[in-house]
Amino acid sequence: MSTHEITLTVNDTEEELTVESRTLLVHALRDQLGYTGPKIGCETSKCGACTVTLDGDAVKACTVLAVQTDGSEVTTVEGLADGDDLDPIQESFHEEHALQCGYCTPGMVMTTRQLLEDDPDPDAEEIRHQLKGNICRCTGYQNIVNAVESAADKTEGAAESTDDAEAESPPAKADGGEARSDDETPHAEDDGR
Amino acid sequence: MKPAPFEYHRPTTVAEATDLLAEHGDAELLAGNQSLGIVMANRLATPDHLIDLNTVDDLAFVEEREESVAIGAMTRHRTIERSDLLTEKLPMLPEAAEQIAGPSVRNRGTLGGSIGEADPAGNYPAALVALDATLEIVSADEEREVPVSDYFIAYMFTDLAEDELIAAADIPTDPFPPERTGMAFLELKPAAQTWPTVSAATAVRVDDPDADEPVVEEARLALANAADVPLRVEDAEAAVEGESLSEDALEAVAEAATAAADPEDEMHADSEFKVEVAGEYARRSLAASYDRATNIETDFDAPTDH
Ligand SMILES: Cc1cc2nc3c(=O)[nH]c(=O)nc-3n(C[C@H](O)[C@H](O)[C@H](O)COP(=O)(O)OP(=O)(O)OC[C@H]3O[C@@H](n4cnc5c(N)ncnc54)[C@H](O)[C@@H]3O)c2cc1C
Ligand code: FES
Ligand code: FES
Repeated sequence: MSTHEITLTVNDTEEELTVESRTLLVHALRDQLGYTGPKIGCETSKCGACTVTLDGDAVKACTVLAVQTDGSEVTTVEGLADGDDLDPIQESFHEEHALQCGYCTPGMVMTTRQLLEDDPDPDAEEIRHQLKGNICRCTGYQNIVNAVESAADKTEGAAESTDDAEAESPPAKADGGEARSDDETPHAEDDGR
Repeated sequence: MKPAPFEYHRPTTVAEATDLLAEHGDAELLAGNQSLGIVMANRLATPDHLIDLNTVDDLAFVEEREESVAIGAMTRHRTIERSDLLTEKLPMLPEAAEQIAGPSVRNRGTLGGSIGEADPAGNYPAALVALDATLEIVSADEEREVPVSDYFIAYMFTDLAEDELIAAADIPTDPFPPERTGMAFLELKPAAQTWPTVSAATAVRVDDPDADEPVVEEARLALANAADVPLRVEDAEAAVEGESLSEDALEAVAEAATAAADPEDEMHADSEFKVEVAGEYARRSLAASYDRATNIETDFDAPTDH
């Protein structure tokens, strides 16, 4: 069995780990490093639950090998909020009731991030086109589209660079108390599938 | 663990990659992993070695040449979708790329992976067949060029040898001056996570886009998923060439496409339905290409937007 020592930066924290050649990025993140924000749905690039950002691009972490990410920067949904301050996309998902069970939400949020970077002011059709690779079994999508539109309104102009967006848009209300933080682990039983 | 164990190799040059192919019998090339990852997760493929091309920078390029544009095998769908050069010279390719899955698949998937996989439902195989591309193929001891029409042999079976890799596709642009050319890639797809039921890749060059009745000088039509290989339909091309596009000519296109199509039944679409879609999408796609080639108002049924 071939193993590799790799170093990757996850949400600005440098992580060193040993992975098998066949270890998928989503498994390394969840099982070895404890970043359970990315969820596992299909493990075949279809559902989008595992979406993370890899060196600036949204990718499905179930079809990237962990070994391929040696030296890379990964952002998971855990990397977006600043303490209790949700980032504008998370905040909009919360306000627009864009989630029910929340399983698809980390992937939706990470895909939305890329979408708004590419096109800070998308129309509803564009939003639907860009979210095609993310499946939600609860909401019927309408509120998700609303949330993306609302996030676009909040971040417009600052979305050229995510750093700007994060720096420029402090959440309007800092209660955030009952907001889902998406990094809890209600699905630990899917390990080992 | 989803995939079975394998040895991972990370070459940084084409020569290193072809040496690894020569050395290891049971090796697979790893490109975007958006097809291979799925078959390996299902353990339908259990290669002993994976040779990762993602670190071979020389394979990722879009380059204008004298009378063609060359696209390196590791060029991602996203790059093709957003390339200004391709949008100007070969707009069929960005249109084919943008309809593949969602953005995170397009951030990883590559031209070379799609040609290597050779699924007859694939977008690029049909597009490259319509555009008469040539593939540049390399092994440790040889470089050769293969016209795509000779490359796709049977269902997911190609002219590529075990020790070879696809380096690039070279696509002629001289037949298609942008100012009097239109191209379209039109597909019917039940849902984003699925492959298209049938797609129609077309190109049309007219004599004078401003004429009252622009004459079709050259037309191209290739269908995806209408046979066991991407299917060029030359009878349909001949049916529209030499005259201004008419409903009668489009009817002949649909008939030629229907006659040529020989698809397999699938769960969501039996072969009879696919044959019908092949005819209708051939018609719509050619009408769209003609519309885009000309500056006149055409009143053929507008193609449905994807
Ligand atoms: C949800 C989903 C929907 C999709 N929908 C579509 C669609 O509508 N249309 C469409 O066309 N595709 C679709 N695809 C497939 C997608 O385009 C893949 O990215 C592509 O087919 C394979 O490219 P890849 O770079 O991921 O290759 P990989 O999966 O890495 O490799 C595929 C095969 O090609 C071989 N290979 C890779 N590179 C080379 C090379 N340079 N030379 C020789 N062989 C090579 C590999 O060894 C492997 O056998 C979809 C995929 C997903 C996950
Ligand atoms: S788990 Fe990765 S796309 Fe479904
Ligand atoms: S909120 Fe339940 S899957 Fe989307």
